[in-house]
Formats: sequence, C-alpha cells, structure tokens
Amino acid sequence: MRIIALVKYVPDSGDEVGFEADLSLGRVGPSSRLSELDEYAVEQALRLRTELAGATLTVLSVGPAEAESALRKALQMGADDAVLVTDEAIAGSDVFGTATVLSAAIRSLEGGLVVAGMSSTDAGLGVVPALLADSLCWPLLSQAAAVSVEAGLAKIARVDETGSRVVEAALPAVVSVTDQSGEPRYPSFKDVLAAKKKSVATLTLADLGVDASAVGVGSARVEVLAVGRNPDRAAGRVIVDVDGSSVDEIVDFLAAATK
Amino acid sequence: MKVLLFVIAVAVSIAAVALFVRGALTLYRLIGAGQPSPGRLGPVGKRLGNMVTEILSHRRFRARPLVKAAHWVVMVSFILLVPTLAIAYAQVLDPYAELPIIGGWPVWQWLLELFSVGGLVAIVVLFTVRLRHPSEPEDAAGARDWRSRFFGSTRWQGYFVEAVIAAVLVCVLVMHVLTSAVLARYPETAEAGSWVHYPLTFWVGPLFWSLPPVALEIGIVVAATFKILVSMVWLGVVGYATTMSVAWHRFLGVLNVYARRETDGTPALGAAAPMLVDGKAFDIRDLDDLDEDATFGVGKIEEFGWKSLLDFASCTECGRCQDLCPAWNTGKPLSPKLFTLALRDQAAGMEHSLDIFAALKSAGAAGELAAPTRDADLVGGVISPDVLWSCTTCGACVDQCPVDIEHVDHIIDLRRHEVMVKSEFPEEFNGLFGNLETKGNPWGLPPRDRMDWAKGLDFDVPVLGTDVTSADEVDHVLWVGCAGAYDEKGKKTTRAVAELLHLAGVKFAVLGQAETCCGDSARRAGNEATYQGLATENIETFASYGVEKVVVTCAHCLNSIGREYGQLGADYRVEHHTQVLNRLIRDGRLNVVAPPEDERRQITYHDPCYLGRHNGEYDAPRELLASLPEAELVEMEHSGSSSMCCGGGGARMWTEESIGTRINSARMDEAEATGAATVATACPFCAIMLGDAAASRDQAPAVTDVAHLVLAGVKRGLTNPTNEAETES
Amino acid sequence: MSENVVVLVGANAEVLDASTAELLTLAGQLGRPVAVVAGEAPQALVAELGRFGAAEVHLVSCPQLSDSLVLAKAALLADRAVAAHAKVILVASGLEGNEVAGLVAAKLSAGLITDVVTARFETAELVADKVVWAGKYTVTAKVLTEVAVLTVKPHSCVPLIAEVEAEVRQARFDFEPVAPVARVISAEPTAATKRPKLVEANVVVSGGRGTDGDFAPVEALADALGGAVGGSRAAVDAGYVPQTLQVGQTGKSVSPDLYVALGISGAIQHIAGMRTARRILAVNSDPEAPIHRLADLSVVGDLKTIVPAVVARLG
Repeated sequence: MRIIALVKYVPDSGDEVGFEADLSLGRVGPSSRLSELDEYAVEQALRLRTELAGATLTVLSVGPAEAESALRKALQMGADDAVLVTDEAIAGSDVFGTATVLSAAIRSLEGGLVVAGMSSTDAGLGVVPALLADSLCWPLLSQAAAVSVEAGLAKIARVDETGSRVVEAALPAVVSVTDQSGEPRYPSFKDVLAAKKKSVATLTLADLGVDASAVGVGSARVEVLAVGRNPDRAAGRVIVDVDGSSVDEIVDFLAAATK
Repeated sequence: MKVLLFVIAVAVSIAAVALFVRGALTLYRLIGAGQPSPGRLGPVGKRLGNMVTEILSHRRFRARPLVKAAHWVVMVSFILLVPTLAIAYAQVLDPYAELPIIGGWPVWQWLLELFSVGGLVAIVVLFTVRLRHPSEPEDAAGARDWRSRFFGSTRWQGYFVEAVIAAVLVCVLVMHVLTSAVLARYPETAEAGSWVHYPLTFWVGPLFWSLPPVALEIGIVVAATFKILVSMVWLGVVGYATTMSVAWHRFLGVLNVYARRETDGTPALGAAAPMLVDGKAFDIRDLDDLDEDATFGVGKIEEFGWKSLLDFASCTECGRCQDLCPAWNTGKPLSPKLFTLALRDQAAGMEHSLDIFAALKSAGAAGELAAPTRDADLVGGVISPDVLWSCTTCGACVDQCPVDIEHVDHIIDLRRHEVMVKSEFPEEFNGLFGNLETKGNPWGLPPRDRMDWAKGLDFDVPVLGTDVTSADEVDHVLWVGCAGAYDEKGKKTTRAVAELLHLAGVKFAVLGQAETCCGDSARRAGNEATYQGLATENIETFASYGVEKVVVTCAHCLNSIGREYGQLGADYRVEHHTQVLNRLIRDGRLNVVAPPEDERRQITYHDPCYLGRHNGEYDAPRELLASLPEAELVEMEHSGSSSMCCGGGGARMWTEESIGTRINSARMDEAEATGAATVATACPFCAIMLGDAAASRDQAPAVTDVAHLVLAGVKRGLTNPTNEAETES
Repeated sequence: MSENVVVLVGANAEVLDASTAELLTLAGQLGRPVAVVAGEAPQALVAELGRFGAAEVHLVSCPQLSDSLVLAKAALLADRAVAAHAKVILVASGLEGNEVAGLVAAKLSAGLITDVVTARFETAELVADKVVWAGKYTVTAKVLTEVAVLTVKPHSCVPLIAEVEAEVRQARFDFEPVAPVARVISAEPTAATKRPKLVEANVVVSGGRGTDGDFAPVEALADALGGAVGGSRAAVDAGYVPQTLQVGQTGKSVSPDLYVALGISGAIQHIAGMRTARRILAVNSDPEAPIHRLADLSVVGDLKTIVPAVVARLG
C-alpha cells in the first residue's frame, strides 16, 4: 500500500521573502525549507508505515524546482521516495488549483492513504486536505492530534472549536495531523547518507493530464489587489522591578487598557 | 632445606609466570582486537624520548607534591627491585649470592638501600593517603562522599599492591640487615658488611650478633624465599586479574604514555580527535568512498580503537579525574574514573569489582544490563545516558591523568554514535541541530541580524566583501561568532572589542553575514556531520577573502577555528581578544587609566576551559587585568589549570541541567568566597552561565568580560587627559 | 436590493457567541443577513440572532450532523446558501470553520478567503483584507466569482445591535454522501468554563515557561480582569495548560484589547498569535527576552511576586 505524505516548501518565518511581481506569496528565500508543520505529517506517515505491513511512503510536493530540498529532508527522515510536481503554469494557484494538482498526482501514484500537515506556515489556510478528500471522494480525517490504523480502519483524535472527537474511516482516506501528534524524528547521519540514494521524480501538468487552465493565476478565484507591510510593533516602555516597584505602574496600565 | 625452599620458590614462580604470561597475552589480544588507531606507534624516536622524560620527570602528576614524590620513589624502587628479585633465587641456595658485576658495587648498593628505605617510607605514605580517603558508597548521611577521589576505586586491589611492595621492601631490608650482620661480625668480611656496602642497614646488624651465623643465613634464605613467593603471588594474581589495572598500569601505563595522542607531551586537549571511519578520518566533502555499512562513533566496545582500549586498561583508579570533574562534584552520575573503569571491565568481559559496582549504582551511572554481553550497547546497556550527556568536555580529567587517558575523546566518540547512528540525544538538541542546520547559529535567529551589534557605534565597521575585498587590506579580521552577534551580553563585548581596536588605531574588518557558526557545539554534542558542514562553509568563506588569521572573543571559536579546522586541511592563526588587547597595551597603543581611589576593587578571574585548559592561555587575561591599576586580582579555589568549568561547554549550554546542583552555581560559590565584587571572564558562554548564576542570587558579584574593564580604563583616559601621566607604560 | 449574506451560526448553538454577533454585524454591512443554524436551537437564540440583525433564520435539522466530521455541515450550509441565493457566506475562522468554508466554496465554485479582518463591497465586487507571514503583511484581495465564501477572524468588527424581527424557517437536510465518509464515534464538547472563550475574550492573560508550572498567578489575574487564560507552546508542551488554550501559530490566534504575557519569552511563533492585541503587557525575569521589544509595557521582574501584588491591588 502506498502512503503519500504531502509537504510544502516554504520560506522560513524569519526570512523577509514577501511577494512575487504578481503579488502571490513568495516561495523561495535564503532559508526556505520543508514547512515545520509538514514534518509532523512525515513523522506520522513514517509511524503508520510501520503499522501497515508492506506499505511504502512516498512524499509529494507541488512547487518550484527548489522544492526538491524539502523532499530531500523528508527522504532523510525515512520516506522511501519522492515526487515533485513542478510546472510554471502552476505558479499563483489558489487552494483549489493546488488541490486539483495534488489529487491528480495522488491518483496517478495510486496512493492508499494521504497524510498532510495541519496548515502551511505561510498562508495558513488548513483547507487543502478537505478539498483533497472532496476531490478524491475519500473520507476526511483532519486535524488529528493522534492517528492510528488497524485492519484497514483509520482512527483519529481531533480537538477543535466544537470540542474533542474520535473519528474513524475505512482506507483509503485523507488524514491531516497537527503539531500535537508527536515530535518529528531527527534523521541520523546514516539516514542522511541513505537518502542520497533515494529518488526524486519530477512530474509536469502534462504528465498528470491536468489542463493548465485549471490551475495557476488564471484559474484563481481571488485576485490580489495590494499588499502592505504592517508596521512592526514598536517597543514600549521597559521597566525593571525592584521589590515590587512596578506594581503601581502595572495597575495604572491595566486600568487604562481595560477602560 | 634450601633445596626444598628453592624448589617451592621455582614451582610457585613457574605457575605465577604462566598466569602472568597468560594475562599479558589476554590483554594483548583484547587490546589488539580494537579498531585501528593510526599514528600512535611512530615516530618511534620522538615517542620514546617523550615517554622516558615524562615518566622519569612525573610531570603529568599535577599538584599533590607529597604523593608525586612518594610515587616516584616507589616507581624507581620497583624498577631497581627487579634485578634483586632475579638474584633472590640464587640467594635461596646461597645467601651470599650477588648480582654479577654490579652486585658488590657500592654505587649500586647505595642506590638500592636508598630506594628500599625510601620506598618503604613512600609506600607507607601512599597507604596512609589511601586509608584517609573513605571510599564507602554512602557515608553516614547517606550521600556520596565527594571528597574522596578513591570513591569507587577497588579497595582490596589498592591495598594489596601496596602491601606487596611494602612486604618486598621489608624482605630486601631484612636480607640486607642479616647479610650485613653476618658479614660484619667477622674481621675478614667486616668491610664487605660495613656501611660501605650497606649504608642504611649496617647499624642494625650488631643487634643480631648474638645469634649464630647459621641462623642468620637461614634468615636470609627464608627472607629471600618469602620475597620470591610474595612477588610471585603478586605476579600470579595480577596475571589472573587482567582488570587489576592498579597493578597493570606499571606495564600498560608505560605503553599508554608511549602511544599518547600528542607526541610533544601536551595533554590530549584542544581539538577533539577526528572521527575515524574504517581507520580513516571522516571528511564530509568526501562521502563517495564511504562504505554503506560504515558506522560512526562508538556504539559497542569492539568499535573502539586499540589505543582507547589500552586507555581503559591502564587506569590506575587514582581518581584525580573524578576529583576535579565539575559534573561529578555537582551530583551528576559522571565520574571520568568510573566511566573508564566501566569500559575497562566491559572490554575485558569481566564483572565490576564490588566497589566499582556499588559506586556506579549509587551514582546512578550504571547501565540497564546487569551482565552485559560483549556486543551490548555501551550507552544505555553498560553506562547510563546521563553519564554521557553530563560531560561539559572541560578537560580537567585529561589534564589530571598521570597515564594520559583521553576521556574527552572517548565521550565524544560515544556521543557521535548516539547522534549520528541512533539519533538518540537530549531533546533540546533537536532545536540546536535544527537551528544550526537551517540558520547557522544555535539560537535559530536570522543570519541577516549578525551585524546588529555594530548599530550605533560612532565609527563604521568594514565588512569583508562589501567595504574591503581581501583580508590583507586590514591588520585583523575580527571573528564575531554567534554569541557575539546574537546574545545581548556577547554583543556588548563585541562592541567593546571593536571600540578598543578602533581606539588603538587598528585596521580591522568583520565577515558580517558571511559568518556561520564555528560548529563547536555540534562537534561536542557528537554531531560531526553538522559540525563539518558548518566548518567547511567557513573554510570556503575564509578562502574567498584570503583570511589566514582571525581575532576571536569566544573561547569555543578559538578552539574550533584555531585547533580543529586544521583537521579539515585548513590551518588558521587564531588569537583571543585578550591576547591582542594585551599586546596593544604593552605596545602603548592603548592606555589604561586608574579610576579615583574609591573605585578600586577586587576582581577574580574565571578561566574559560577552552581558553585556559584546552589552549594553555592563562596569562594574557591576567596580565590584562594586572594592567588595570584599580584591580586587585584574587584567585578562586580552583584556578588556572585546575579551574572549574562554568558548565556551558560540551553543548551543555543548550540543555537543561536537571540532575544534582548547578555547575554554574557551584562556580559562583567559589567566586563569592573570594570576596571579589567582580568576576572577570573571557568567553561569552562563561559570561552567560555565570551571569545566570548571579541573577538568581540576591547579592552576587558582577560578571563581566575583561574587555569591558579595559574599555572603561581606556575611556577614562580619553575623558580625563590629565590622568594620562599616571598610566601604565 | 440587498443581497443575502449567509452566516453560519456558531458550533455550540445554545447561546449566541460573540463571534456570531460579529459575523451578523459584518453581514449587515455587506447585505441582508441570513443566519443558518445547523441543528436544534432554543427560541431564545432566535431572538438573539434577530437582535443582531438576522433578517432570516434558517433552523436546519440534520440527523447526520453529529456523526459527520465536517462534510454534513458543509453540505448543509451550501444547500442553504443556494436556497437563499446568497452572494456571500460568512463562517467564523477556526480549524473546523476553515474546512467547512473550503468545502462550501468547492461545492459552489465560489472564491474563498480565510481569516479576513475586514470585508466590503467595492463596486459590486467583494474585497477583503487578511494578514499573512505571521502578521507582517496585510493582503487585500478581490473575489472574482459570483459567490464569495469568507472565514472571519474574531474581533474583526464590533458587534452592533440592529434589532429586526427575524423570519424563521424550519428546514430539514439529509446528508447523503455518495462517497465513503468518516464517522464520528465519540464526541465531547469543550468543557464550559466561567471564563470567556479564548478567541473572543477582550482580555487574555497567558502564561509561559516562566511560570514554572504554577498557573495560579495567571488565573488569578485573568479572573481579576474578567479575561481568558492562555498559554504559550512551551507551557503546553510542559503540561501546564491544555493545548486548547495555546496561543500562537499552531494554536489560537487572539486579538484582544489587552494581552498579558507572563513568563513568556516571545518567540516568533507565539507573537504570530497575539501581535494584533491592542495593548500588551509583559512580565519576564529575563531582560533579554524578545517580548520586551514588543510589549507596550514590559516589566523585568519575577511574576511570582509581582502578579499577586497586582491582583491584590485590583481586588
């Protein structure tokens, strides 16, 4: 059975990457890497691979050519192989375009279980797994704090604004995991060396049979009009407390702030 | 009867020698089965020369002058006693037998007597020292006895070897007394038995003149036999017990000193030993030849190089390392001695002695396996992981060891395996490694912030690549380092040093964002791959700007760039800022001015381990402090080469210290005890660790880098030109 | 003629929560608010919905709702939106909210903008602002499709009372999926506390690693100010507070009038979750902590002594 883990190549939150000319979010920066939140997805996918006898783990990403480094990191963590879907036409896609490409890739790879992260660290939507499940016609088990699979049935524990729920579904299914699901492993150097021999395959839209009109800026349902830098919050007043000397000022501040 | 005694002596000897030979062969095979340790057997001449001078001078015995002298005497007497043991067999049959040629030589006989009496006194001294150090696992209060370096040493073995030496020496002296007595009694042999040949024993002889000569001769024969039997029992016991290294060190220690890491006689400090893979030093730029099944670091005992196995087998259980270990002294399970002995016993496939076992257990240092097999995992199975990760790599153990055991290298080898193969390490390292790999600094802060420290200076700091094209356009390249760029205290120190260089008219430049972490923390943590990734990046940067020497403000950068990058083929001359500032003051390019009377103060100096012990620089910072007219330097209890670590080395800066008490707190206790109002140091890690310790106390000394004190003195001179007449020249 | 703007009424639909009131107000600015309640609702709720401007209230019963993770709710909402010819659909931003919104948008081929802070019509086109890159940039985007789906962050607008007589419609929706779906096998609603909900509170008092496990000062101050209790990632990882109270990039994003950070260092992932607070107070014993560069009033000191003293003064 092929497990597919979805990863996104994103700029580091410390980078000043900003935007492309067409005002879409920039992807490539000096510290761009595998999205931290997707590391949890890879980790859970690795654990599920152990639970599912005979399963393999393919890690999949849609992005620019540089995104290969994100896939490499996932291979170092232990994934068996990687696939990068890269095509100029995909640039500027919205979540629907991205979901279209991903589901075409998942179908072409004949995946039996998809594991994704909870959201991306740049745009932070958390919507793609739901759209994927919808497009693939598979059950959705999203935002899991814990996931397990037994006898073809996947079960998750999920906490959201409605409360906590335990949800299950028969495979194939789309699962997404949160950062509560378990610390991602640090690849040992042996894993790093082993990863050098693993393959990263690249696919284009044509390989997937996806029409360019279904993706990219042209297909986007939303158009960015402007971007503005928010001013950094200026530092306020810093005082050092000596034996409670700050209490008065704090009380005044609180009174003013809650008026 | 003589013949009977002779036969007994010979029979026992044969058995004993057989046991000893068997033991020696066992050890030879055990050590020889180790992995390659290249470069340890040659150059033969240099190594032999160093070995002889080191052993004869006892220069590796640090402090404890009485013990050093006593041991030296005992050692020499042991050497001298060997020929006397050989002749003893003849003396069983003929009490008057003498060694050929030298036997009747007064010079020889004087030497012998001197060292026999001296040796006996010395062994009693050593016996008393051992006796005075309780080594019970629990004292009355149930806590470990920190004061004893012999805690965990195998008591019966120590007393046994000392008793044997004493017994043999007593035999020698008895034989001399009786021989001189029987000779001196009769005029025709009087000279032969006089003080000429028996200078220290002749005066006892007359006490026995009332006995018939035959009785004295029997006495000599019996003493000779007893001497042989005692010596042979020793030989046999030692041969049987191959882990009795308090005895074996006499042979193995010599070999260990021969095969030591540094052929120039300096301790195995500074650079960590390279990681050997299949006998070759690992280089991350050269991975193509790497075997698929290559293992990294040491996981099981058989993965140690033969020299490491020799190290473990040579340990005398003296505990000097344990005595100074900052981790052990603050309640961690790590004792370098117990660590070495645990590995010794594992290598030999033997159970620990009761004392060692009890010590390991009570310290929480024992691994999970009660009876580990030869292929057991060392970390976890034989020793607990806390032993491994508590080490700050301060090097006090290596510095103290009289037989040149390389504890720090062994710890790092074990860490390499844990990190690079098993991926098992303190969880705080996840963040550390991730930050180093993605951001090039341990804090994970943006690389572009590396020049923030220079904001607000009233002069421009030239950056290589932007303002200056190559390093030869300036006098110095100032390597800022990660702490110097990202830590608030570190940034202030960088500014102070930059200001001082500017005031001295020194042309310098920095690398700015082109710097990446020197890699020290990664290497100490065992992550050799990440370290080499960072190091090779810096080496490329240095090459592109023609950098051949740098000035650093951090002792770890000093060690890494100056001592370790050479293993990757790139040697640099690295100076510490205290060395440069010292020179500038001596050359008159900086003038330090005294403050008004009431600002005089006592200052104590904390030696950073990586500046002091690892790189031998104890003087420059002290000279710098001495150049401050207002400062009166007071030393802490442990200073100089016996200095106590701040607790930040060995990548411990990035981990929580959850066992025992805190090392930085213990060091701050020592600082407070001096009464000084200021603790000066010369490394940002030390400043951070000691600063943390000070922050959690109500009234603690101020912790500051030496550079700030110098800058204050120099600035005083600038604002008060009339005081310049009072400055130091 | 005012177009219908459908508002999905909040999850635990027994009492009107603040975010629903905000959504209704926003809906009123954009068009004619139509509230959709998935599941049973008490009469009092309907009146409350009308008080905040809901011209229509659809009470939709759906037997499959509790068994379904999000699909039933999304299908129900899409169905109601079509029935009401809605131009805009508003959902409160959240883990579930975003998923529901995404699925609705997919079904209706509508444009989707999540986590918006403002929205308005500019010549018949819907324009909304959202914040990206951990709060550093604000993006203004226009929806190109006929219908728009937006998820709205709490505290994005002030709820206004706009008393109307709501027209109530009862409906029943049966969710009949064609593809296999996931099944909820157990559910526990969030335990109700007397404190306000974290994302809606006007005052949030959060504790971090510096509390050393003792959240009593944090809770005391929160209660003294009538606010919610939150925690940093470090506090959650150390087990001091449940993850549901985590403020930060992978937790809740809050925008209160007052945010108090106690023993929190101010890592970028935490800042991302609270930087839009109107006023920030921080207490941290480490003078080098990044939070001191962000707070309006920053105190370098021991929270264990300072906070109880402050609480005593407030009480």
